[in-house]
Amino acid sequence: MFAAQSAFTEFAGRVPERLWLALVVLVIGVIAAFLVGVINRRLLTRAGVPEAIEGTAFERTVREFNTSTVRILAQLSSYFILAVAVIVALTVAEVNYLDRFWSSVAAFLPRLFVAAVVMIVGVVVGDKAELLVAERLRGIKLPDLGVLPPLVKYSIVYVAALVALGQVGVQTLALVVLLAAYALAVVLFAALATKDLVASAAAGVFLLLRQPYVVGDEVKVAGERGIVQEVDLFVTHIEADGEDHVIPNHSVFRDGIVLIRE
Amino acid sequence: MASLTDHLSDLVEDADAVLLFSPTSSFHDRFEDGDTEVVVVAPDNDVDADTFVELPLPFDNVKDRIRFGIEGSMDADLVSEGDEVVCIASVFDGGSDAVIRVTVDETVHTGIYDLFVNSRAEPSVIRDVFELAIELGQKGQKGKPVGALFVVGDAGKVMNKSRPLSYNPFEKSHVHVGDPIVNVMVKEFSRLDGAFVVSDSGKIVSAYRYLEPGAEGVDIPKGLGARHMAGGAITRDTNATAIVLSESDGLVRAFKAGELVLEIDPEEY
Repeated sequence: MFAAQSAFTEFAGRVPERLWLALVVLVIGVIAAFLVGVINRRLLTRAGVPEAIEGTAFERTVREFNTSTVRILAQLSSYFILAVAVIVALTVAEVNYLDRFWSSVAAFLPRLFVAAVVMIVGVVVGDKAELLVAERLRGIKLPDLGVLPPLVKYSIVYVAALVALGQVGVQTLALVVLLAAYALAVVLFAALATKDLVASAAAGVFLLLRQPYVVGDEVKVAGERGIVQEVDLFVTHIEADGEDHVIPNHSVFRDGIVLIRE
Repeated sequence: MASLTDHLSDLVEDADAVLLFSPTSSFHDRFEDGDTEVVVVAPDNDVDADTFVELPLPFDNVKDRIRFGIEGSMDADLVSEGDEVVCIASVFDGGSDAVIRVTVDETVHTGIYDLFVNSRAEPSVIRDVFELAIELGQKGQKGKPVGALFVVGDAGKVMNKSRPLSYNPFEKSHVHVGDPIVNVMVKEFSRLDGAFVVSDSGKIVSAYRYLEPGAEGVDIPKGLGARHMAGGAITRDTNATAIVLSESDGLVRAFKAGELVLEIDPEEY
């Protein structure tokens, strides 16, 4: 018993003090990593993240691997702290020959971590946006609009990838230029395509608010004479002799309205 | 037991098509491999059937439900006159419990499908007005039974064939049937007499309208009052559909082209 104890003291004495310190740092690091992981998971769950991202493609994929997005994020933070602890421990232990390498890794690590988090959040938000857009469009039964939800998703993922790549120091200028060109095209096309619609809607707001004519009035607008059947935001339906004229509101506004009274 | 099974096989023998009313997906799958044509009639196409007829109201009356299914199938050229059709439906609550054999002919054609699908107004608008009338019939106004008359579609012509009884509460408002607030508003306004005019897209154009159609030649069942006569007559003069809640017997009736098409008891929904 005594012999064993003396042998242990002798062994402990031989091992340099900084090694013990490094070991303590490592243990504290492991505990901290574990705690941060658990707390993060609780916080994310509390914040309603699992409900918010339910049904997204990313969440479903990770579910197949018996894990979840929240768990992956929590584990990522754990690994980050663990890695920092390992580097601190190595520094304390003065492992000199790898000094340069480790210092650059230590500087790089936080950025890698941020990049990974940005990427995961980007993918999840993209998935969620795709789901929401698809849900909104479900009422409109038009198969051609099916390209919209993936477009929204990949736009978000693309931006997230840009941010992530920027974090890890990859040159992203070309990609940013591409993004700008794409955004410009979208804005330009949207403006061109909806020019008449926006003008009609503006006129429609006036027609609905002031009601210069109402359903049942006989009017002459844009060269068509008949009975008003329907006024909505974009168009006015005017019926005459079994012909239903659908007139865009901006032309009603531009050409004026003739109210016909007997 | 043998005679029962014989009877059942007699019933389904040589059927040209089978109509499944709101089947479960496993029940539907059992019919997939057969050689008779299968038509699913349900509120939603949950089973991803190729041939599907949408049921706008869960008709409690099985006859109406079957008529709607057959007329819908005829409209889509799935069955034609003279065909023998077997309907599998649920009469009591729960699963499919009835097998009914129907021969498709003129007597089945009552226009109940036309009422929803081929009206001027959109099918969802007709359905929403029906639901409104049914709810009004169930609850009444402050517990007392009320009557109501909704004229749906062709609002321009209807407005020209009617005059206001009072200030129009829906002027400069943009409420549509199906908006949650409408139930409350209509309940209050139903105290006063007159018709509600609803446009093709479901906008409530006016309340308190006194309809002035020519009532000559309108043939509605005897015993119905002025409200039904006015509703029936306006649908003859215009392309509108009239949905009438009777104050005396509490039934909801639909008129189209001057004829009574559908009769529903709100208490059964």
